[in-house]
Amino acid sequence: MPNLTIDGRSVEVPAGTTLLEAAQRLGIYIPRYCYHPKLSVSGSCRMCLVEVEKAPKLVTACSTEAAEGMRVLTASEKVRQARRDVLEYLLINHPLDCPICDQAGECGLQDYYMDYSLRKSRFEAEDKILRQKRRAAGPYLMLDNERCILCTRCVRFCGEVTKTAELEVMERGDRSFIDLKEGRALDNGYSLNIADLCPVGAFTSRDFRFKARAWFLKRTPTICLGCATGCEIEAHHYEGTIYRLVPHPNAETNTWLCDHGRMTYKAVRAGDRLGKALIRKGLIDLEPALRETATRLEEAKGAAAVLGSPWLSVEDNAALARLAKDSVKTANYCFDFSAEQGIKDGILVNKDPAPNTAGTRTVKALYGGLSLEEFTGLLAGGKIKILITEAKAYGLVKAAAEAAGIRLIIFARNRGEAPAAAYAVLPYASYFETEGTFVNYQGLRRMTAAAVEPPQGIKPLWAVVNKLASYSGAELHLDSAPRALKDMDF
Amino acid sequence: MPFKLTEEFRETAARIRARYPRADAALIPLLHEVQREKGYVAEEAMDELAKFLELPYSRVKAVVTFYTMFNRAPAGKYHLQVCRNISCHMAGAPGLLARLREKLAIGEGETTADGLFTLSSVECLGACGAAPVMQVNETYFENLTLEKLDALLEDMRHGRLLTGAKEK
Repeated sequence: MPNLTIDGRSVEVPAGTTLLEAAQRLGIYIPRYCYHPKLSVSGSCRMCLVEVEKAPKLVTACSTEAAEGMRVLTASEKVRQARRDVLEYLLINHPLDCPICDQAGECGLQDYYMDYSLRKSRFEAEDKILRQKRRAAGPYLMLDNERCILCTRCVRFCGEVTKTAELEVMERGDRSFIDLKEGRALDNGYSLNIADLCPVGAFTSRDFRFKARAWFLKRTPTICLGCATGCEIEAHHYEGTIYRLVPHPNAETNTWLCDHGRMTYKAVRAGDRLGKALIRKGLIDLEPALRETATRLEEAKGAAAVLGSPWLSVEDNAALARLAKDSVKTANYCFDFSAEQGIKDGILVNKDPAPNTAGTRTVKALYGGLSLEEFTGLLAGGKIKILITEAKAYGLVKAAAEAAGIRLIIFARNRGEAPAAAYAVLPYASYFETEGTFVNYQGLRRMTAAAVEPPQGIKPLWAVVNKLASYSGAELHLDSAPRALKDMDF
Repeated sequence: MPFKLTEEFRETAARIRARYPRADAALIPLLHEVQREKGYVAEEAMDELAKFLELPYSRVKAVVTFYTMFNRAPAGKYHLQVCRNISCHMAGAPGLLARLREKLAIGEGETTADGLFTLSSVECLGACGAAPVMQVNETYFENLTLEKLDALLEDMRHGRLLTGAKEK
C-alpha cells in the first residue's frame, strides 16, 4: 500500500493504482482523452502529464503507478504549460467546425481549451492537414476523421469490449487516421458506445445528428426496458421530446448500452403511437372505448380472462390482477411467466427479451392465478369469450386465442404492436412517460422515471384499468402507482 | 486476380510463425516474405495473412500502412525512396524530391509510364549521419547532391546500376 502525496495531500492507495486514479480518490481531476476507466491504458494523448518530484520529465498520470513517497504536482506551472502545449498539438489540424459539430457542448477539446489554454492559435487555417470529412461508418455512426485526435478509445473498445476489432489507426504520423476495412460496417451491436466514448466529434451518432444541442438537453435517470438486463440509463430530452438514451454506468449491470436498447425511445414518438383508443380499428376517445369494453365484459360474464405481461411494470400487472379479481371477478387470470435468463453475448444483451419476467413473480405470489400452460389450455378450450392482455404478452397465447376466436381487448402503445384482429385497443403511457417498477434478471428492483409527458389524454396503464373497472361498476381505488403496489411484498 | 497463399508460402510462413511466441510478432517477417515474393502487399494478401495468423484484418492493414517499407501496389523497376525526416530534410531532401518530380514528371507514390521508376518519400532510413539519403530498391545512396542524383538517374536509365532484388 504505497503512501504518496498529491498536491500536498497524502493518500494511501493499493499497489498498482495509477497516479490518475490516486488523484481521483482525493477529488483531484486530471484531464484526459485516451484514458477510460473500462479500457486498457494507452498513454497516447499526453493530456494527463503531471510533475513527479525528482523525475527528470513529466509523466503520464494514467500509466504511472503510484510508488511509496512519491510527491506529485498536478497543477504546477510546468504541468499547466504542458497541458497548453498538448492542446496546441491536438488542435494543429483540428478543423474548428464547432458550429456544425454535434459534439459541441460536450467536447473534450472545447472543455479543456476553456480550462487550460485560452490561447490564440499560432497556426493558419490554410496550413492544416485536411483529412476525410464525415461519412457513415455503420448503421448508427458518422466518422469525421478531421476532428479525430487519435486517442484510440474506439479502437480499444472494439478490440477489448466487443472483441470485433473493426477499427485501427492507419498510416503514420500526421497522416494517420482511424479506419476500418473497406466495405465493412461498424455494426457490432454496441457501436453507439463509440459515439459516447469519443472525446471529440470524430464519431457521432447518426440518429442524434443535428437533432438537438447538447446544452439544451435535460437528463432523466431511468432504466432500459430493451431486455431483462435492465441497464441504468439517462434519457436526454428537451421540450417533451426524447432525443437519445445513454448509459448510466453502475457496478451492478452496465457501463455500456447496446444499440438495440438505445433505440427503444423511438416508439414513444413513432408515427403509429396511439393517442386514442381503437374499437374495431376505428379511432375513438378513451372514455367511450372503456364504456364499450365494459359492456362487452359484462356480456361475457364468467367467460372473461386476463393475462398479465412481463413487458409491463409490477404496478400495471398488479392493476390487471385487481381487475380480474375485484372487477371481472374471475379466477381466469395468469401472471405466470418464465424465460431463460442470463447474459447472451457476454456483454449486456439478455436471453430474455422481456424486461420484467422476474417482476411478474411478485404479482403471482400475491394474487396467484393459473399457470401459463393451464391458461393457454383454458383459452383453447373454447369457454373463454373475451381476453384482456397487453400486446406483446398476447403473442404468447396467440395461437390458442386465434383458434378459439376469442374477442381481444389489447393494451398497446403503438398501433403496430396490436394484433389486427383486436376488438378494442386501449392506449397507455410508455415507461418514458410514467413511473414503473421492474425487476431485472438479477432480482434488482429498479424504477423507470417520467422523462416526458404522455400524449394528451393518455394515462398510465393502471389508471386506465382503474377507469375500466369503475365503468364495470367496481372501484379499485388505484389513484396512484404506489396504490397499485399495495400489499405487494418485495 | 484472387490472391491465394501458395502451399509453399504456407510452409515458409508456418516455419516463421513457429519462431515467435505470439502470432502478431510474426506479422512483419511474413509481410516481408509476401513483398519479396510478389513485389508488393496486396489487399487480398493482407486478408489472407490475417486469416493465417488469426489476427483482425484491421491490425494487418494498420501495420502495412504504418511502414513505408511495404508497397501497397506494384513498384517500378527502380523504387526511389527519399527520406523526408528531419536530418535529410535539413540536408536538402526537399530539393532532391523536387528534382526527381521534375525529371520523372511524376508525383510521390506514382510510377513512370515506362514502368522504370516509382517515387516515394519515406520515413527515417536510419542513416542520418549520411543525410540526405535515398534508398533505391535495397541499396542506400548517401550524402546525395543534385549532381550525384542526376548521375544516378542516368545510370539507372541505362541499366548500369545494381540495386538488389529487382534486376534478376
